[in-house]
Amino acid sequence: EDTGGDDEVFEYGKGDFTEHACRYCGVTNPACVVRCNVPSCRKWFCNSRGNTSGSHIVNHLVRAKHKEVCLHKDSPLGETILECYNCGCRNVFLLGFISATTESVVVLLCREPCLSVNALKDMNWDLSQWCPLIDDRCFLQWLLKVPSEQEQLRARQISAQQINKIEELWKTNPDATLEDLEKPGVDDEPQPVVPKYEDAYQYQNVFAPLIKLEADYDKMMKESQSKDSITIRWDIGLNKKRIAYFVFPKEDNEIRLVTGDELRLRYSGDAAHPSWQSVGHVIKLTAQEEVALELGASQGVPVDVNHGFSVDFVWKSTSFDRMQGAMKTFAVDETSVSGYIYHHLLGHEVEMQMVRNTLPRRFGAPGLPELNASQVFAVKSVLQKPISLIQGPPGTGKTVTSAAIVYHMAKQGQGQVLVCAPSNVAVDQLAEKISATGLKVVRLCAKSREAVSSPVEHLTLHYQVRHLDTSEKSELHKLQQLKDEQGELSSSDEKKYKALKRATEREISQSADVICCTCVGAGDPRLANFRFRQVLIDESTQSTEPECLIPLVLGVKQVVLVGDHCQLGPVIMCKKAARAGLAQSLFERLVMLGVKPIRLQVQYRMHPALSEFPSNSFYEGTLQNGVTVNERQSPGIDFPWPVPNRPMFFYVQMGQEEISASGTSYLNRTEAANVEKIVTTFLKSGVVPSQIGVITPYEGQRAYIVNYMSRNGALRQQLYKEIEVASVDSFQGREKDYIILSCVRSNEHQGIGFLNDPRRLNVALTRARYGIVILGNPKVLSKQPLWNGLLTHYKEHECLVEGPLNNLKQSMVQFQKPKKIYN
Amino acid sequence: DKVRVRQKVAKVDPQEVADFDRELRALMQESLDSRKLELRSRPTINMMIPMNLFEGSVKEHHGRGTEGESGDEITDEGIGGSKEVQVKVLVKRGNKQQTKQMYIPRDCSLVQSTKQKEAAELEE
Ligand SMILES: [Zn+2]
Ligand SMILES: [Zn+2]
Ligand SMILES: [Zn+2]
Repeated sequence: EDTGGDDEVFEYGKGDFTEHACRYCGVTNPACVVRCNVPSCRKWFCNSRGNTSGSHIVNHLVRAKHKEVCLHKDSPLGETILECYNCGCRNVFLLGFISATTESVVVLLCREPCLSVNALKDMNWDLSQWCPLIDDRCFLQWLLKVPSEQEQLRARQISAQQINKIEELWKTNPDATLEDLEKPGVDDEPQPVVPKYEDAYQYQNVFAPLIKLEADYDKMMKESQSKDSITIRWDIGLNKKRIAYFVFPKEDNEIRLVTGDELRLRYSGDAAHPSWQSVGHVIKLTAQEEVALELGASQGVPVDVNHGFSVDFVWKSTSFDRMQGAMKTFAVDETSVSGYIYHHLLGHEVEMQMVRNTLPRRFGAPGLPELNASQVFAVKSVLQKPISLIQGPPGTGKTVTSAAIVYHMAKQGQGQVLVCAPSNVAVDQLAEKISATGLKVVRLCAKSREAVSSPVEHLTLHYQVRHLDTSEKSELHKLQQLKDEQGELSSSDEKKYKALKRATEREISQSADVICCTCVGAGDPRLANFRFRQVLIDESTQSTEPECLIPLVLGVKQVVLVGDHCQLGPVIMCKKAARAGLAQSLFERLVMLGVKPIRLQVQYRMHPALSEFPSNSFYEGTLQNGVTVNERQSPGIDFPWPVPNRPMFFYVQMGQEEISASGTSYLNRTEAANVEKIVTTFLKSGVVPSQIGVITPYEGQRAYIVNYMSRNGALRQQLYKEIEVASVDSFQGREKDYIILSCVRSNEHQGIGFLNDPRRLNVALTRARYGIVILGNPKVLSKQPLWNGLLTHYKEHECLVEGPLNNLKQSMVQFQKPKKIYN
Repeated sequence: DKVRVRQKVAKVDPQEVADFDRELRALMQESLDSRKLELRSRPTINMMIPMNLFEGSVKEHHGRGTEGESGDEITDEGIGGSKEVQVKVLVKRGNKQQTKQMYIPRDCSLVQSTKQKEAAELEE
């Protein structure tokens, strides 16, 4: 069993409303809907006009030329086919009410012929006031209620054109849905995202195909990533399971492996071994690119063989299914999010609402550092608003601020608070901080990640289940022990074990103040019956909209999105989906809609000299320094900074770029050689490897640097192995004392690739605490306005240098004119 | 969970309204015509009202859920909220007659006629 084992499979587009929902707009109120009684049709429609002149049911009857209807069983008249009281005629276009001349009794009577039968007049019926069932293109409203304004606002806003189209489609395909109308053809460009949506159905129509595209691409990429000739090193884990260690080579355009991924290990067999295969989960990725795969089955593993294995990805649709499911819930379940949030997320103009809560006297929280002014302001504002955005530039204490918000929310007694982030690392960090305030935290992990080690192990649900110390749980523990020892249980024991485990999980989760999980994790079946009024999502600018929606549709009334839209956004692999706007986060769209993010303004990471350029270029100069020059001086570290109180320089490199061996990436030998020299100088001056990070945007260069340093490094090989060399993207959210940035691109006519994205540059420049060295070709980089600005900044501060490291000199290299102002 | 949303004024295309009206009228006419052709002979009348229904009179009703005062003292106009009148809707379930209570707006022509008749009878 794994993450998705018990998830239902969602197929987008098959809008499975409640059966009696209006097929045009989705309204479900039984007093407002009737069923078309034509046997081949039997669809339900409501009595609201929406954007058309006639009500939905009248529209349907006219367009489809259907004439009979039946009321809902829960309507005031109960399940009733409307028909003439006298002759049984069911044609609604002929029916109307008459009343008794003296009493308050009314009946339905057809206009032809019953109304013209004179005998009725003699029977106390008043025929002069026949009141047609359909009046002004609408059913009589006292018989069939018109949905309330609120109900209509939450419904699908269908147009007359859409009605005509779907009615036409129903003639050949009675089960067609409105989504079928919108579905792009195979070769069509998908509909792009827009700032505002008519309703949640339109929202789903735009995002569902984009998620589908990304899912298909992801599947295609992962399934094509089989690697042969893999060498295995065998081990056994603490839980007695087999672990296979091996190196899984990667390239620029390929999907990164993450812990929790599922891989299949295969051996085709030889004279002494039958062919064998087993599926397992990645439980660890080492800095040396070594993968640790914990195998599901421990029987028959060819542990005496080490070479000639193959590895395939096992693609899982779970995360995509959950996104599709969240969008569907958002549309059809009106309790999924509050009315205010529903309309706000769709970009409707909603009258401002405040949350009525007594504010705490202090905005900090126990166990956390004192908050600064902008952090206090953020906490205070957020607690009063149903939707807020917090922008946390690098090193400004986002996590502490988020933890303080969650602390106060939990103390308001509105039920459990849900805290999410797209990445497991961020969730762990938050869980730790929130737990420090004394709140009871449960960290829910995907089942596939239970074996992955976590810094907040003790907070995880699976750990708490195993270590819950009550006598009632002894049965569960006994079975658990048995399972651990034998590897499996008898089917009756397994059943008992599962039931006990589920009950214990529920018990522990329900007693928590805060549940922490990834955004996708919020769609875990174990949370299916939970409701969360208050939700905080950290790193929300790194998740796609549908991903962000997963934690929200569990009943949210108050939402806090934390992030920084000036740093890198979500990674979208499918270009078509990215072009259509899937890479834009909900946070960014809300900013476009006029929600002003509250910005945290004091940074505690960078030496003030390092924060100056990012503050001016990305944050309108608002970033203040919470650390002083003195706090960021490293005594005893003797490094040849050209300007002693400015631990930064741009190291001019003129070596050419090359295409890497894989043909899909770049490398730059001169830069790599100089990276090694800089690293060596740092190490010699007393800096330890864990303090240094080498950032390069190209996988080709990354691999080349790792290789080069371990072969040509002047010091012990092991020291270089411990230095992290990685892409800008994988450094997001993290910091190092010293950063060396190798830009790689150096050519006359081509662009600068990855470095063109200002958000990537921002991330690269803001990882270092004590010092930064940038290696690149100013002639090439200066064509881009932002880089031109950076180079000018370094030059003005006499930090643009060339020559040997032990004799750096100001560089006089000429910059190119920037092409155009970046917007 | 009351939300105030500034709504766009829904624009209904006059051409669409005209087309729709034409189709609706055509359907009504066609229905009538087909009945005229279909039913040469007048149907038998089977419209007896069960006697147990003739008790009590028209009830006033203010808004949903509250029991209105009986009698005609309060006029329709002037008071906020629409006033409703309680009626019994007579339906057939198979061969059984059944009534269900419903509220209809006082300004519905169905009620108007009953009221006028009642008033006329009172004056006599
Ligand atoms: Zn129909
Ligand atoms: Zn409808
Ligand atoms: Zn009739």
